[in-house]
Amino acid sequence: MSERLTSLRETIEKVLPDVDGVLALRQGPHGIVSPYLFHKERPGELDKLALWPKEPLPDTLKIILRAHPEAKLAIVCRGCEERGIVEMYKHAQFSLDNVILIGLQCEQEEAEFCRCAKPFTVHAKTVVGQPIQGVADPLTDKIAAMSLEEKREFWKQEFEHCIKCYGCRNICPQCFCNICALEDEKWVQTGRLPMPNPSMYHLVRAMHMTAKCVACRECEETCPADIPMAVHFRLIARDVKEMFNYETGASLQQKPPQLLVLEEGEYERTGLPH
Amino acid sequence: MMYQPKIIGFLCNWCSYRGADTAGMARMKYPPNVKIIRVPCSGRISPELVLRTFREGADGVMVLGCHIGDCHYSTGNHRTAKRMPVLKKLLEYSGIEPERLHINWVSAAEGEKFTVVIKEFTEKISALPPFVETMK
Repeated sequence: MSERLTSLRETIEKVLPDVDGVLALRQGPHGIVSPYLFHKERPGELDKLALWPKEPLPDTLKIILRAHPEAKLAIVCRGCEERGIVEMYKHAQFSLDNVILIGLQCEQEEAEFCRCAKPFTVHAKTVVGQPIQGVADPLTDKIAAMSLEEKREFWKQEFEHCIKCYGCRNICPQCFCNICALEDEKWVQTGRLPMPNPSMYHLVRAMHMTAKCVACRECEETCPADIPMAVHFRLIARDVKEMFNYETGASLQQKPPQLLVLEEGEYERTGLPH
Repeated sequence: MMYQPKIIGFLCNWCSYRGADTAGMARMKYPPNVKIIRVPCSGRISPELVLRTFREGADGVMVLGCHIGDCHYSTGNHRTAKRMPVLKKLLEYSGIEPERLHINWVSAAEGEKFTVVIKEFTEKISALPPFVETMK
């Protein structure tokens, strides 16, 4: 048992008596890791506590809090999951009054797997593990440096493999709209594979992820065609930082730019004509 | 025959469409490539609409609205000013020329500016290959 796992278990055991449940990962009967709500009456289950592969826990938190708004819960969250929780809170998906965040810092190889720039938690009061520096994102940099023709050809080939399984949307912790534009025949044609180029599905989704994507890379992970779609979201996130000075999940107070009117100096940074 | 680009212009009802009216009443000349669609506000133009316009075969899309601060609905065009630059960046990242999408502000009195904007945009799009061919 790794040191981080032992210390996480100790932390959970400390928190468990005061809350209704602790949301974390558990190794199931067939070795499959999935989200699980640990309960104080069944402390023996903590033997099966797991860390990796990560699963979108904020989504599970939302489902539980929708059904039991009064429940007092603790959740084990990595940097990306914490950002997801913050964004969902800011978009009024649930209240954080009764939620305790247990931060779990990622290790070097996990951060490199996710090409993560922020593999650490910021808001969590209880933290397990040592925070490490963010790592570079070579794929995004490589695509950003391509010429227009190369990009066109690259994305055309990638999107050709898409089977429109909607897996990326379903797993995304930030895709919580009740009515999804991607299910609208007006925007995404049904019954056509490969999708017509340019792919409306992926471009519309990229637009909707503006200032929302928390860079957890669950979409790429779940994609059966291995499409590196998070590259789009990350490139746009850089622009949003530049134009609107907004970093997803960084602050609990700052409102997302799409909910606000233009502020002083913002218009000049958008590059629109005067 | 020379290649004639297809351009769709989304014009806001309160400023830009009236600006086009002004240009028409003054008998100003401008290229006939632009098909004008009147919308209540430029903030109504969602990225989905622009992308679908491209998918249907438009070579260029222009979104014209009231100047910032003059919007009939106070802050409708703030939305345009926030989402359209991001959409332009997204087009660029996907390999589509960002020049194909043009955003500008034309008030009801600026008939002259309307013709200039359309002339310049048509020239710019004419220099690019047809959109459908680039997407093959």
